[in-house]
Amino acid sequence: MSTPPPADDGARGGATPGCYYGHGLPYLSIDQYPGKIIAIEGTDGVGRSTQIRLLREWLEVQGYGVVETGWTRSPLMQPTIELAKSSNTLNKLTFVLLYACDFADRLEKEIIPALKAGFIVLADRYIYTAIARAGVRGVDSQWIRRLYGFAIAPHLVFYLKIDVDALARRVLETGGMSYWESGMDLKAGDDIYDMFRSYQRQLLKEYASMADEFGFRVLEGRRAINTIQDELRRQIGEFLETSDSPKVLSPGF
Amino acid sequence: MTFSLLHATDFADRLMYKIVPPLKAGMIVLADRYAYTAFSRDVARGVDRQWVRDLYSFAVRPDLAVYFRVTIDASLDRLLARRVKLKFYEAGLDMGWSTNPTESFRIFQSKVLDEYERIVPEHGLRVVDATASITEQQRHFRRLIADTLENVS
Repeated sequence: MSTPPPADDGARGGATPGCYYGHGLPYLSIDQYPGKIIAIEGTDGVGRSTQIRLLREWLEVQGYGVVETGWTRSPLMQPTIELAKSSNTLNKLTFVLLYACDFADRLEKEIIPALKAGFIVLADRYIYTAIARAGVRGVDSQWIRRLYGFAIAPHLVFYLKIDVDALARRVLETGGMSYWESGMDLKAGDDIYDMFRSYQRQLLKEYASMADEFGFRVLEGRRAINTIQDELRRQIGEFLETSDSPKVLSPGF
Repeated sequence: MTFSLLHATDFADRLMYKIVPPLKAGMIVLADRYAYTAFSRDVARGVDRQWVRDLYSFAVRPDLAVYFRVTIDASLDRLLARRVKLKFYEAGLDMGWSTNPTESFRIFQSKVLDEYERIVPEHGLRVVDATASITEQQRHFRRLIADTLENVS
């Protein structure tokens, strides 16, 4: 094991779960907060939302308080991001910074208050999505990691892994290939099917390169929904049993 | 943090569309405020000093950066003489330090000025005394610009 990196290096492996990766938000101390943050990562169409919905039910039945947070869902930034995406003027930096702003808003207004109150935060995508997308767009990897130094290292990160062939079929069966999920903004070509495959392949490569560093728990995304859910519950259950908080509310409380 | 990141996004957008193209065409770009504004204002709001510097590492380093230095009293006098009301964020009212706009402005902008004093030597900003007359300031400013242009061309 190598020694933990200096705080100013931003988001990277070896950080203590539940603590800031880097300098964090200097005006918001999060020491000893009882909540837990569990991130589910994976590319579009891999089934994250379904798994999170099932996890939430399972955790709530056991008496845990659960808060969900998802990429670009901040009330402050969602309209701005939608507008910016439709206006065709985003460049790789503004693209990355808008996402960071959305995340910062959710961190301050949703995630940290929930951790403070002892909730389990289920994050549908986390900063690794941003790092992967930035990597594909050629943004400096040191810079993006320092940028996300204000993020909290999750207690658990699950990565639903899938190959491009399976992913392409799954996305076509559901909503179809979208402009952004095909990386059409990169202007590498006109054929959305080819662009989707090439863009997602690059994204998968970025995720794979982070898996070891950030300690992703990798789950095979092609398996049945219930099989994946069972595995998630097993690992999360083990984790919650061995951690001292949050406490399950006793019946009648 | 969102305040800081929204401004950085705006800056990145202007860098790409308004700053880099004229520089490539060999033109002079006059920037009314630059990344140093973020270094002072965001840090006064509690953002980490090093983090905001790293954030703006994509910015072009200016050939000349001039800081118009003014005291807190002079700046308040000027603003109050001109306007009915101090702007919400300019007065740092979002920080909840004081509900009195003038008092809040004084607290917040004092922190901002302190940060500028740190930035001046760190980034080699040239200082113009902004309490002097406009003519004097303009003469000084022009001299600084003329020197820079001579040195770069």
